[in-house]
Amino acid sequence: MQVGPGNIAQRAVADELTRPKRKDESRRGGFGLDKVALALVMLYMLVPLGATLAFGLATGTSFDFSTFSRIFSDPDFSQTLLTSLELAFGATILAIALVTPTAYWVQLRMPQLRPLLEFLSLVPFAVPAIVLSIGLLQEYSGTSGSLISILSFGLVPFMSNTLNIVSTPPLLVCAYVVIALPFVYRPIDNSMRAINTTVLTEAAYSLGSGWWRAFLTIILPNIWPGVISAALLTFSTVMGEFTIASLFNIYTFPIYLNGVGQNDPHKAASLSVLSFIFTLICVLGIIVLVRNRRGGAQAANQVDIAGVK
Amino acid sequence: MAFLELENISKLFGRNTAVDHVNLAVEHGEFLTLLGPSGCGKTTILRMVAGFEVPSEGYILLDGEDITQRAASKRPMGMVFQSYALFPHMTAEQNIAFGMNIKHVPRETIQKRCAELLELVGLSEKGRSFPHQLSGGQQQRVALARALAVEPKVLLLDEPLSALDAKVRISLRNEIRRIQQQLKMTAIYVTHDQEEALAISDRIAVMAKGKIEQLDQPEEIYSNPRTIFAASFVGSSNQFRGKLASASQGLCQVGNHLLHIPPATNLKDGDAVLVLVRPEEVNIEAAETAGDSDANTTGNHIPGVIELRTFLGPFTRFHIRTEEGVSLTADIPSQQARDNYVAQHVILSFAPEACQVLPLDSEDAKLVKQVEAEAV
Repeated sequence: MQVGPGNIAQRAVADELTRPKRKDESRRGGFGLDKVALALVMLYMLVPLGATLAFGLATGTSFDFSTFSRIFSDPDFSQTLLTSLELAFGATILAIALVTPTAYWVQLRMPQLRPLLEFLSLVPFAVPAIVLSIGLLQEYSGTSGSLISILSFGLVPFMSNTLNIVSTPPLLVCAYVVIALPFVYRPIDNSMRAINTTVLTEAAYSLGSGWWRAFLTIILPNIWPGVISAALLTFSTVMGEFTIASLFNIYTFPIYLNGVGQNDPHKAASLSVLSFIFTLICVLGIIVLVRNRRGGAQAANQVDIAGVK
Repeated sequence: MAFLELENISKLFGRNTAVDHVNLAVEHGEFLTLLGPSGCGKTTILRMVAGFEVPSEGYILLDGEDITQRAASKRPMGMVFQSYALFPHMTAEQNIAFGMNIKHVPRETIQKRCAELLELVGLSEKGRSFPHQLSGGQQQRVALARALAVEPKVLLLDEPLSALDAKVRISLRNEIRRIQQQLKMTAIYVTHDQEEALAISDRIAVMAKGKIEQLDQPEEIYSNPRTIFAASFVGSSNQFRGKLASASQGLCQVGNHLLHIPPATNLKDGDAVLVLVRPEEVNIEAAETAGDSDANTTGNHIPGVIELRTFLGPFTRFHIRTEEGVSLTADIPSQQARDNYVAQHVILSFAPEACQVLPLDSEDAKLVKQVEAEAV
């Protein structure tokens, strides 16, 4: 279950990053059907947001901005927001750090495994969050069987018994990495296929570069759009995730939002708008950071060009 | 001992043998071309030399040192790829400097060397350009400069011109040859374009089915092919399948005709042979003017009708159908071909010395058919 309109904004921006750019877009003039369609889509997305804002500020006959001051003075607001941000950043970094080199390695050495990886990346879509969380709680609560112990090379018993990881934020981050897998693998894999990964790597090898240097200095700068898209989608997924956090008993922002919504709908609506603005700032911040990064914007343009060739 | 040696090298992909016990020796400063149709193993050999593939069998020796198991990044090779493989996020200068940066070459030296290399490939003004701002030919020049920047002992070129248009291809191949000779660089060049191979190589290895069919200088390969495949693949030729009527007198029975060929000492009467005649060795004369004079001159005279006349600039190509329904080709200097026209009855003639005679077995025949099919 996803809570918060921030997701819409982030996914729209993520789509924008991976969308092929067309040269003739700016040349078109007039008010054609495309503009009407665009206006309708904008209305479709902005009206609920506007209505939520209006509802949040409404006091019956007039608008009152004091809801915001009440929200900011609530210690739960800042605490849960911080927790969600920590979880989101943790899951995003871990997912990218795990998936990017793996996708590169598979593309380079085991291209025949790509269908398997694609299938695995889609599995989280098929497994409901509630099943995933119950399964994780069951296995990491120290009651896992010997089969799990063998399959995980003893890692699950070690983490559950020695590190006592059940219902802790680190395990929640791991669970988020799993549910974010479809959003992470696809854009990264697509970006890698858009550039000629194997030949670029071989070119780097022939110039004396090793695997890691080739990955970090040649491949990564050229797949940045895919990596950023993956990061934004993971970030938004985690920021709005409710079910697993609830079952893990970790007090995150969506749980706080849900609790507020049951007592004070106006405050909940304002919170939703705040959440949207906040995540939008985070997303734009990441994009600006990447664009300003040396070679980042260039790399973003290059992927389209490489794809055309 | 040669500079680069491939000793009994093989490469298997599953059950497929890509390279089959190949021996090859490349001398220092030599420009050697691996020429063959797709799937003949030429690129696999190059990739094994580069270190991208490990041989299933055999050794690779560079300057007497065994480099068979050495990682690609540790081999002193420079590689130029068919698809350029320039790093898209780097400028031409940064691409060229990449290898030198890895080797921790001082910054001033890198800048100086970049400028020198850009000048060498004629792109002094384009150092700050990104690959997408350069044409295909310019990108390949940068790729060449990048490969040369690491001062490789061997330059490897994997069909570097095949993605370029015809005019650029010719100018760039001359440039590659000029640079290679200027730097006295040992180079291995892979191509399926026989014209390209003949134009720039010191030696050519004609390959088929993972084996080297003939390794020789371009002139030898063209004028004296040792195998049917080499003869069929390099250049075009008229082919006559027949049986030796008299090996010592140089007579070959082709259908109802007796062809005059050079005496074949290594063959015996009755052997199946393939007689090859290059189109430029064939002459044509209008049937009405040829008259009876042909009967008195030595050589081969075959009557036929011009089916197609193609003007190719310096020469004109005629496709002529003989009375037996065989299509033959003759390349006549354009100035001498003005009076010949389609549907004209002509006599084709060629000297016995123009014939190359090669023994034909069933395996060879299959190969010839395959090459012909690929050419179509």
